[in-house]
Amino acid sequence: MDWNAFLDGFAVVTEPTNLLYCLIGVLIGMLIGVLPGLGPAATMAILLPIAYNAGDPVSAIIMLAGIYYGAQYGGTITSVLLRIPGEASSVVTVFDGFALAKQGKAGTALGIAAIGSFVGATISIIGLTFLGPVIAGYALDFGDPEYAALALLGVLLVATVGNGHMVKALVAAAVGLLLATVGADSFTSANRFTFDTLQLQGGIDFVVVAMGLFGVGEILYNLEERHGKIHVPAAIANIWPSRKDLKEAGPAIGRGSVIGFFLGVLPGGGAVMASLAAYAAEKRVAKDPSRFGRGAIEGVAGPESANNAAATSSFIPLLTIGIPANASMAMLFAALLVVGVTPGPQLIDENPELFWGVINSMYIGNLILLVLSIPLVGIFVKILRVRPAILAPITALITILGVYTINNSVFDIFLMIGFGILGYLMKKTGFEPGPLVLAFVLGSLMESSFRRSMLIFDGDPTGFVTRPISGTILAFLLLVLLLPLLRRVLRRRVTETIEPDHHDEKAELR
Amino acid sequence: MRKSTTTCLAALAGVASLALTACGGVSNTAGGGSDSGDYPQGAVEMPVGASAGGSSDLISRQISEGLSDELGGSFPVINREGANGALAAAEVAKAKADGSTISVQNASLFAITPLAVSEDEVTSIDDFEVVQGVSRDDYVLVASKGSGFKAIDDFANADGKITYGTTGVGTGAQLACALTFKVDDTPAEAIPFDGGAPALTALLGDQVDTACLQVGEAIENIEAGKIVPLSVFGPERVEFLPDVPTAQEQGLDVEVAQYRFMTVPKGTPQDVQDAIAEAMQATFEKEEYQAFNKQNNLTPLEISGDEVLAMLEEDKQRYADLVEEYDIDLGDAS
Repeated sequence: MDWNAFLDGFAVVTEPTNLLYCLIGVLIGMLIGVLPGLGPAATMAILLPIAYNAGDPVSAIIMLAGIYYGAQYGGTITSVLLRIPGEASSVVTVFDGFALAKQGKAGTALGIAAIGSFVGATISIIGLTFLGPVIAGYALDFGDPEYAALALLGVLLVATVGNGHMVKALVAAAVGLLLATVGADSFTSANRFTFDTLQLQGGIDFVVVAMGLFGVGEILYNLEERHGKIHVPAAIANIWPSRKDLKEAGPAIGRGSVIGFFLGVLPGGGAVMASLAAYAAEKRVAKDPSRFGRGAIEGVAGPESANNAAATSSFIPLLTIGIPANASMAMLFAALLVVGVTPGPQLIDENPELFWGVINSMYIGNLILLVLSIPLVGIFVKILRVRPAILAPITALITILGVYTINNSVFDIFLMIGFGILGYLMKKTGFEPGPLVLAFVLGSLMESSFRRSMLIFDGDPTGFVTRPISGTILAFLLLVLLLPLLRRVLRRRVTETIEPDHHDEKAELR
Repeated sequence: MRKSTTTCLAALAGVASLALTACGGVSNTAGGGSDSGDYPQGAVEMPVGASAGGSSDLISRQISEGLSDELGGSFPVINREGANGALAAAEVAKAKADGSTISVQNASLFAITPLAVSEDEVTSIDDFEVVQGVSRDDYVLVASKGSGFKAIDDFANADGKITYGTTGVGTGAQLACALTFKVDDTPAEAIPFDGGAPALTALLGDQVDTACLQVGEAIENIEAGKIVPLSVFGPERVEFLPDVPTAQEQGLDVEVAQYRFMTVPKGTPQDVQDAIAEAMQATFEKEEYQAFNKQNNLTPLEISGDEVLAMLEEDKQRYADLVEEYDIDLGDAS
C-alpha cells in the first residue's frame, strides 16, 4: 500500500470545496433515504449533470458517493418509526426497531442504529483501505454455485427472523419464493404468472412488496385498532441510548460490522444476506433469544452495522475490478465515465488522487452523518407523537409516492395496495411479513444461480458439493439444520440420566 | 465553480421539497438556444426502457441535454425499465403524436427480441416514426484467462462444451455468441446473466470460459489484461479495440450490432420530427457529446431516420434467416 497516496487522499478531502460537496452529498442521501422508493441510484442519476459541471471531478464523485452511504442512514428512520423498510437490507431492522418504537424507545433504537452504522461503515472503510484488492479477488471465487448455496442458507435463516412461529414463518417464506417467480423467466423468456400484462413481465419490485406488506398493512391494521380501543401514544422516554443499551449493543455492532464487510463485497444480494446473517447471529448468541422481535436492541444494532458495512464494502468491486455491485454502484460507474475515468483494475495506479480521495471522504462523510444524526434523532422521534389520524395519511402518501418513483408506474401503486391488504390479513392471522419479503428477495437469486450452476455443471449437481466454497456453505447449512435436533436429543439424554437420580433422592428423603 | 455550487444547492432544495420526483431531473431553464417554430410546448417526456446508469439511460440523458440546449424547454428522462424496453416502447406508442413524448430506443428490441419471445409480445417498429440515428454499441467476444483461448481457432482444441456468458435472453450479445459457436461448429452452452456486470464478474472469476459483452463493459479489463478479446461483431473493426479482428475477418459470417435511434409515436407531424432531428444533429457536432461517445466506446451512427429503418428491416431479416439456418432457439437457453 502506498502511504503517500493514502495521505494525499486526505489532503484532497479536506479542501473546503470537497468538504462542502461531501456534506451536501450525505445530507441529500440521508433525506432521500428517509423517503422510500426514490433510492440513491435514481437520485444520483438526477444529479449526474453536476458531475459534468463540477470544477473538479473528485468533488462530484465524493458527493455522489455521499448520497449512497448517506441513504443507508436515512433508511433506518422509516423502518423504525413507520415500519416501512426502504431497502431489502433494512427489512430485518423493522422487527426489533419498530417494537422498540412502540415501547417508547425509538430514540434508543435510532441512536444505536446511528452509532452502529457509523462503526460498521468505519470498520468497513478500514478494511477497504487495507484489504480492498485482496478481498476483491475472493469475491470473484464466488460463482453461481456459491450464490445458490448462500441463498439457500439465507432462506433457512429467514425462518429464524421475527418472533412468530417457525411454521408460519416458513409458510410466509414459501409464498415469498413463489412471488419471486413472477415475470419473464430470464432463461427462456417464458412468461410466468404475468396474466398477459406487460407490467408484470419485469417481475415485481421489492419496494412494492415491502411497502405494501409493512407500510400499508400497518396503516390498515392501525385504523381498525383505533376504532376498537382508544389509542394510547407511547411515552417517548430516553431519546439517547443509556450506557446499559450501549453495553448490550456493543458486541452486536462489532459482529455485524465484520459480517457486513465480508458479505457486502459479493455483488448481488450481499447487503441483504449481511443484515440477515447478522440478525441470525445475534439471535443465536443471545442468552434469551425469545426477546428478539419484541424489542431487542441487538436486533437493531447487528443488522444496521452490517448493512452499512456492506454498503461500504460494495465499493470494492467497483474500485478494484470495475464491476458495479448494485444499481447505485452502476450510477457511480457512469459518473466516473462522465468525468473521464473508467473504473477498473488500473484505477488505483492511474488515478490515485481520485481513488484515495473518494475512500477517505467516506471516513469524513460518516463522521458528518453521525454528528447530523444525533440532533435529528430527537426531531424524528417526535413523529411518533403525531396522532394516527394524521400520521396514517402521511405514511400512505410516502408509500404511494415512493412506489411511483421506482418505475413511474401507476400499476405498481395498485399492486402495492393489494400487498397492503395481504399484509393486513397476515397481521390479523399472526403471520410475519418479514420472512415473505426476505424470501422474495432471495428467491430470484437462488433460482437463477441454481439454474445457471446447473448449466455450468452441464446437469451434474455433484459440483455443488465438490467446489470448496459452496461445499463449505452447504456443510454449514446442514449444521445449522441439525444443531437444534442434536441439542434436543442430547438434552433428552441428560434429563433422562438426571431424572432417575432425582427419584432416588426423593425416595431417600421419604 | 461558483455556478456548480449553486446548482448543487438548488438540487438540494429540490430534494427537500420532494419537487424533485416530479421534475424528474435535468434542471433546465426554459428559453435560450435557437428556436425552431413552436416546438416544444411544455415539457417533453423521454421514457427510456432501462434502469439508471446503463448505456441506454446515459445516451438518453445526453440527448436530453442537447435537445434542451438547442430547443429550449425541458426533456426529462424517465426510466421505465422492464421487458427489454418493451414497456417504455408501449408507452411511447400509446402517447399523443404531438412530440410531447419521444424516446431513444434500441435496435435489439425490434430486430432480436422478436426471435426470443412469443408473437403477441413483439414490439413493432410500425408503431413509431424513426427520426434520427444516434450511435452504435459494439459487442465483443472475450475469453477468461483460465480458459487459455487466445483466438477463435483455439476453440477447436477445447475438450467438452465451452460455456459462454451472455447479458440476457433475447439480447444481441446472446445472438452474437450463439451464432459464433454454431457457425464455428463448436459445442457450447449459453449461460444467461442479468446484464453485463454479472457476466463480466463470472468471466473474471473463471466461472465461464467466454462471454459476449458490450465493448464499454469489457474494455477496461481487456486493457488490464485480465480477459482476452477474441472477436468483435461489427462490419468493421472497432476504433477502441483496433487489434481485435471482426468475425468476418476470421471467416465467420456473423455480424451483430446494437444501435440506438430517436423515435416518436406514429403520426407525429413532420415539422416536429424535423425540429428534433436538427437539434440532435447540432448536438452531435458538440465536442462534449463527442467526448461522451468516446468515453462510453460508442461509434457514431448519425444517419437519417429512413436509413435506420432500412437497416433495421435488413438486420431483422438477416438475423431471422441465420437463426433458422443454424437452428438456434434464443428463447431457450438450456
